[in-house]
Amino acid sequence: MSDARFRNPGWAGNTGEFDLTEADVRGSEFVGEQPLDGGHPSVAPSLPYMLVKKDPEAPLFEGPYLERFEKIRSRYPMARAALIPALNLAQELRGHVSPETMDEVAALLGLSDAFVRGVATFYTMYNKRPVGRFLIQVCTNISCNIRGADEVLAAFLEHTGTELGETSSDGDFTIAEAECLAGCGFPTCVQINSRYFEDVSAKDVPAVLERLKREVNDGF
Amino acid sequence: MAYPYRHESETRILSRGFGDPAARTVAGWKAMGGYEGIARALEIGREATIEEVKASGLRGRGGAGFPTGLKWSFMPKDARRPHYLLCNADESEPGTFKDREIIRWTPHQLIEGCLVGSYAIGAAHCYVYLRGEFFESTRVLARALEEAYEEGLVGTDVMGSGVDIDITLHVGAGAYICGEETGLMSSLEGRRGEPRVKPPFPAAVGAFGMPSTINNVETLAATPHILRHGGEWYRQWGTDKSPGTKLFCVSGHVAKPGNYEFPLGFPMMELIEDVCGGIPNGRALKAVIPGGSSVPIMSAEDCRECPLCYEGVEAAGSMLGCASVIVMDDTTDIVKQVRRMAYFYAHESCGQCTPCREGTTWATRILQRIEDGRGTEDDLDTLIEISEQMTGTTICVLSDSLAMPIISSIEKFRDDYLALIRRGERVGAA
Repeated sequence: MSDARFRNPGWAGNTGEFDLTEADVRGSEFVGEQPLDGGHPSVAPSLPYMLVKKDPEAPLFEGPYLERFEKIRSRYPMARAALIPALNLAQELRGHVSPETMDEVAALLGLSDAFVRGVATFYTMYNKRPVGRFLIQVCTNISCNIRGADEVLAAFLEHTGTELGETSSDGDFTIAEAECLAGCGFPTCVQINSRYFEDVSAKDVPAVLERLKREVNDGF
Repeated sequence: MAYPYRHESETRILSRGFGDPAARTVAGWKAMGGYEGIARALEIGREATIEEVKASGLRGRGGAGFPTGLKWSFMPKDARRPHYLLCNADESEPGTFKDREIIRWTPHQLIEGCLVGSYAIGAAHCYVYLRGEFFESTRVLARALEEAYEEGLVGTDVMGSGVDIDITLHVGAGAYICGEETGLMSSLEGRRGEPRVKPPFPAAVGAFGMPSTINNVETLAATPHILRHGGEWYRQWGTDKSPGTKLFCVSGHVAKPGNYEFPLGFPMMELIEDVCGGIPNGRALKAVIPGGSSVPIMSAEDCRECPLCYEGVEAAGSMLGCASVIVMDDTTDIVKQVRRMAYFYAHESCGQCTPCREGTTWATRILQRIEDGRGTEDDLDTLIEISEQMTGTTICVLSDSLAMPIISSIEKFRDDYLALIRRGERVGAA
């Protein structure tokens, strides 16, 4: 099975000395399901996820998302401090942050449109336009670079048939270059939506993409 | 052996729970002596807590190495205004990957550290500023924090002491500069992550205009151990000027890259050769960046006798920074890597200060020109000149952080630059 090495992503795969499962490494059983309402208020600002499912028309905010938004607001001494968590939440729902989304968030927090646009455009993680079901961000900074990150990036582009920053024709993949992801001991480090895939070499790329395709089909 | 990064000679204080999923729970952490540090702090009082950390000699692990106890003592002693503790978990210095390991394996170690720090500075609220990319590790920390609230370890009346300490997890959205302490404060307040002029220092005017202290994840994670065992205990490791243990993040051309915990002062070559299994494929060492990409590059010769402590690396002409040891073998194209670093700093410059905004961009273009074989020898002088103008002329040290690798690489690997400029030869290019 070509993706055997991905039983332990987020790991130093080439040392061969580990016996933990992927769930152990990622902590997925420990964290359980993501609560849509944000869980305890102390953690509500920290829970945005990058999801496969994106709805650019999703309302800001309703139901459990409104609850999460209110919890976020309760944790800061000033309304403005909720801006970045609110933009994160908007992106979780809609997949990207359009100028209209920025204006809606501005209205929710009583901030000016210009101010919110200034903030939203400062931060790299806000997708200013729609991205594929999987946003694949390849670290090409120094520690990954000297271990072949440029080849990994090239392989992702080749196997998805895309250009940097463009989305594949089936809507599945957008490939981007990322700055250091703090996984330097596990080169090349690749962030795919909310997950890290590490120790990725150019030859592993087809297996990674196959796995993602399977996850879409499984309704991940 | 569950965790691959182990070496029998390690001193495992911070990394004891790495690779052990049980350490993520309150019960698992308590079984390892967890929450005894904060219990002792609450027992001996705020002043004595600061004194204990002062006695340990613990220095900030985020890169600057400022004594933690001293930093805490700058906070006002009265409680007329709210105080805030900010934990800097915006780990984004290239080459650094230690905080993520602490967060995802031992979240309670950080939570307990936040409690100790908050108590010491009289803060009723601690914000942990996590980088936005840390979705998975943040979820682990979030679940652990929920459990800590359920157990009465955080929140109102911490462990029945009558002291209230709230912790809130806050995530950023991708900006290296938010790891700079005043940039972090700006970002936490919902603004662009632009650093601020100091003074006023955060202890006077910090987050939300209130007295604040900013500590790195690894710094805070060390404090429960210091409180539990005492400052003198911590000094059994390390050197007089750099006490204690430290996570060394080794990346690049070594057989077993990873996080290894050793007393400060550990010999660099022993770390590379013995612990990390040396340089693979029979290659030779060419260069090391010892403290994350923002410090001067060292040649193989500089590394020979270098102990990994703040004063030791400084004496060897660089800085320990956050002890992120990036190892490069003799196939490494130094010009390309310096250009890649320059591109990073140009991308991450917040744009407030002209020497940084312009300097990082122009340095990148000149380095690209040299890499493409269109450079001249005058370009090296221009790079040095730009770098000098980028040093000490801006609000924060982002531009200095690029100037250092540029200047040191031209000093130490001038032949690599000249080979490209004169003959179009890329040294080390595959």
